[in-house]
Amino acid sequence: MSGAPATTTAAPPSGARAAWANFRKRMGWLPERERLREPQLFFMLAVIIGLISGSAVVLFRIAIDWTRLTVFGSCLTPSPARTLLVPTLGGLVVAFLVIKFFPRARGSGVNQTKAAVYIYEGFIPFNTVIGKFICCALAIGTGQSLGPEDPSLQMGAGIASALGRRLRLSREKVRLIAPVGAAAGLAAAFNAPISAVLFVIEEVIGQWTAGVLGAIVLAAVSSVVVLRLFLGEQPMFRIPEYHLVHPAELLAYAILGVIGGISSLVLIKVIGSVRPRLKALPRWSQYFQPAVAGLLIGVIGLGLPQVMGAGYEFIDQAMHDEFTWRMLALLAAFKIVSTGLSFVSGTPGGMFAPALFIGAMIGGAVGSVEHHFFPWLTGGVGAYALVGMGTLFAGFLRVPMTSVFMVLEVSGNYSIILPVIISNTIAYLISRQYQHTSLFGLLSRQDGMDLPSMEERREEVTVHVEDAMRPYRGTVFDIEDPLRWALERADASPEAFVFVEDGAGRWFGMKKEDLRRLATPIRPGMSLRSLLPPEPLPHLHPDHDLQEALRRLGDWPLLPVVNRANFHRLEGAVGLPEILEAYRAAG
Amino acid sequence: MEPERQCPQCGRKIPWGQVTCPFCPGNGGHFWSLRRDTFLAVVIVSLIFLFVFTGFIVKRYHRVERRLAQDWFSRGEPALKAGDARAALVDFRNALAYSRDNPFYQLRLAQALAATGRVEEARTYLLSLRERDPGNGPVNLELARLAAAEHNIPEAVQYFHDAVYSEWNGDPVVQRRAARLELVKFLLDSDQKVAARAELIAVAANLPPDAGLQIQVGTLLMKAGGYDDALRLFRNALATEPYSAPTLVGAGECYFLTGQYAQAEPYLDRALLQDPRLTEAAAMRDTARAVLDLDPFIRRLGEQERAKRERRAFDQALTRLEGCAAQRGIDLNAAPSDPLQTLYARAIAIQPSIQQHIFNRDTEWVSNTMDLVFEIEKAAARECGDPHGPDLALLLIGRAQEGTRP
Repeated sequence: MSGAPATTTAAPPSGARAAWANFRKRMGWLPERERLREPQLFFMLAVIIGLISGSAVVLFRIAIDWTRLTVFGSCLTPSPARTLLVPTLGGLVVAFLVIKFFPRARGSGVNQTKAAVYIYEGFIPFNTVIGKFICCALAIGTGQSLGPEDPSLQMGAGIASALGRRLRLSREKVRLIAPVGAAAGLAAAFNAPISAVLFVIEEVIGQWTAGVLGAIVLAAVSSVVVLRLFLGEQPMFRIPEYHLVHPAELLAYAILGVIGGISSLVLIKVIGSVRPRLKALPRWSQYFQPAVAGLLIGVIGLGLPQVMGAGYEFIDQAMHDEFTWRMLALLAAFKIVSTGLSFVSGTPGGMFAPALFIGAMIGGAVGSVEHHFFPWLTGGVGAYALVGMGTLFAGFLRVPMTSVFMVLEVSGNYSIILPVIISNTIAYLISRQYQHTSLFGLLSRQDGMDLPSMEERREEVTVHVEDAMRPYRGTVFDIEDPLRWALERADASPEAFVFVEDGAGRWFGMKKEDLRRLATPIRPGMSLRSLLPPEPLPHLHPDHDLQEALRRLGDWPLLPVVNRANFHRLEGAVGLPEILEAYRAAG
Repeated sequence: MEPERQCPQCGRKIPWGQVTCPFCPGNGGHFWSLRRDTFLAVVIVSLIFLFVFTGFIVKRYHRVERRLAQDWFSRGEPALKAGDARAALVDFRNALAYSRDNPFYQLRLAQALAATGRVEEARTYLLSLRERDPGNGPVNLELARLAAAEHNIPEAVQYFHDAVYSEWNGDPVVQRRAARLELVKFLLDSDQKVAARAELIAVAANLPPDAGLQIQVGTLLMKAGGYDDALRLFRNALATEPYSAPTLVGAGECYFLTGQYAQAEPYLDRALLQDPRLTEAAAMRDTARAVLDLDPFIRRLGEQERAKRERRAFDQALTRLEGCAAQRGIDLNAAPSDPLQTLYARAIAIQPSIQQHIFNRDTEWVSNTMDLVFEIEKAAARECGDPHGPDLALLLIGRAQEGTRP
């Protein structure tokens, strides 16, 4: 190959430089033009958040268990001295930590996450994550009647917020990253990704947002993968067998819905009325409120140790018919009292596990009683306990969709959906009828905030174009109509704005005086086409909401409302006065 | 209330409690002001460390859980064996708190629950275990025991059968046989002898050459009425252990119960030579001897001997009747109003002519006399309880005769 021309390309980089470039490329340290764009980074970050949150929740759960083991010992029924002393002293320590070091760790964590999304542009300080971890592990581990789910949600949101800010995501993405972390935290705490995603959409974001849904799902799934990697595949509860014995059994589930709804109402009312009174007490008393709550819970715990802590093992036992109905009813009643005490005292901790506990006990009690009187009509008590969990979720936390899917996801049994829907709907309706504001809404208002929720948004009246549009009284012209004839017809029309359709479903428009001005002088054979602007008018359909109509209206005085199935057919017209009038009429 | 502040750089609100704007780069120190991709790499590396740390903690915690579970379980096992089911229940519950899905602990918890009378809870545990592993032998056996305790025969039989055909740890053949034998005992207690015999025949077909087992199964077979099969097993056992007193008693009893007193006697005799303390065997042998001594229907008896036996039988029955009447305070010489008085009147009526009829070889008359003897023995047994010795022998002879009549 001696005759071959010499190559003119630059010599390849030396070995060290090539290796460095390769390493930078592998590490993602790419030149600015090659770097990840923000949407891609957002999805990648969702996975990372899921993995970190999953690990954090695993450590959190172990911290709670280890605390309990250390302070109570390994026996499920500790000695009376420990039962009284541990929650009291634990309450003192937790109160001190919360007041002195982690003031943002107070509460369940759901409202704090919502506040971050709606008020603080997605900002949750990282020390809240640390505070939540330490304080909640101590509180729940020392027997306060609270759960680890809501704190896990806030920890996930806090981790996400810190990462989003430090990665300098845009303002919009930083605001959305907190719910992504919240879903990851909750999914790992619940070991149920679908329920976590739904809860975050239903309660934290308050709306279905396609832009963030994918990231939320990714984060939830990756956190659950981590949880299962470390703690195993076993579900939270051993799920009992379910089958509908007789259609009349649905009545029994309806009764469960009524009792669940009333119980939810009682718990919300207790928290709603006692919490502001305790908050209004002098500041020094806040050091002692969790301790007093702990002492009272300890007193209850002397007779019913099951009410202390999250109580998952007892939910499992209720599902397997291991308590009499009297015991189940007692446990439900005293769990309501102890959870109320823990929460209103300002002890950090979640409401999910207590809601599940109370629901399972009520469900079990109702199932046992019905099974006693109508054994031929009712199935296993475990199914009632399972449905009861969802019922309290719907009535107390007011997340009906999450409650249904939670039971389905936890049970893995689709056939239970009918009783779940019946019972949950009744509980939800009763709770909503007698307590208009949901628990989280109530708590946020007590804290001086007004945070939106999907429940409120569902109730918001949406005004549509069809409510605002009026008939178009003028002539609708074709684009090929002769100009002279069109001018004559336009002059005779009461409308100040002229609509022209081009035969292909595109609509044009022009003010009457503009048409007259541009048409002078009129040459023979001129049609409307020669005068119309190149861009067509934006059009509307009757089912569009008025927000969309306003956006499309822009500076146009009037827009055509056309049929969805026939773009040539004009249904009416809408302008700013009509839109304002429709809003006024809707109140 | 602190006034709201705005960041001069980005224009966002600075949240309450924050000195600097948390959204602007460089406000968190050098580490936080790293470039985005550098920071991302640091996060990924930290994630690996976090995973390693979490794995370490989880492993340690699981080790603690396993140890606690084992500790509680090892406290519960002896408590359950010692019959302190209440203490065992607490221990097993604690063990399960740290090893929730351990089926062995759950089984023990169910056993403790059943032992404390919490049958429904026990059943729930067992059913959930069965749901996970329908072929679990111990679980099916426990369910069978619960059903048996409630005298639910069909359910108990079903679970016993499931246990027999399930998987067992250790020696499955032995475990399955034990389950089947437990089923047999339950069936015998429930008076289901035919079903018990069928099960025992299945067990007997696969028995190893173990004299102890053969005796056990043979004894059960005898209780179930399978005397021939039982006898075969006892004979097999005697082939390997000819001087085993229980086996000899078993074989003798089989012969005795089938009315083969002549064959029963030597076996029982040999058994008593091996172990003279076998009172029941001694009573059986004595009865067999008495039967052989009193039975006038034995073939190839001389006429004189037969007559002698008939006379002795009549006298024995009369004595038994008198004794029984005295025991119950009945005056046999009063006008007949009680069955015993009627029988006595009939006996007294024929007593003077017995010898004459026997001497005349009046066989029909003799047969009628023996019928009266059997009637007296039966009535006395009914009124005064089970007879012993010669009276028992006469009763057995009577039953054998009833069996041979058309």
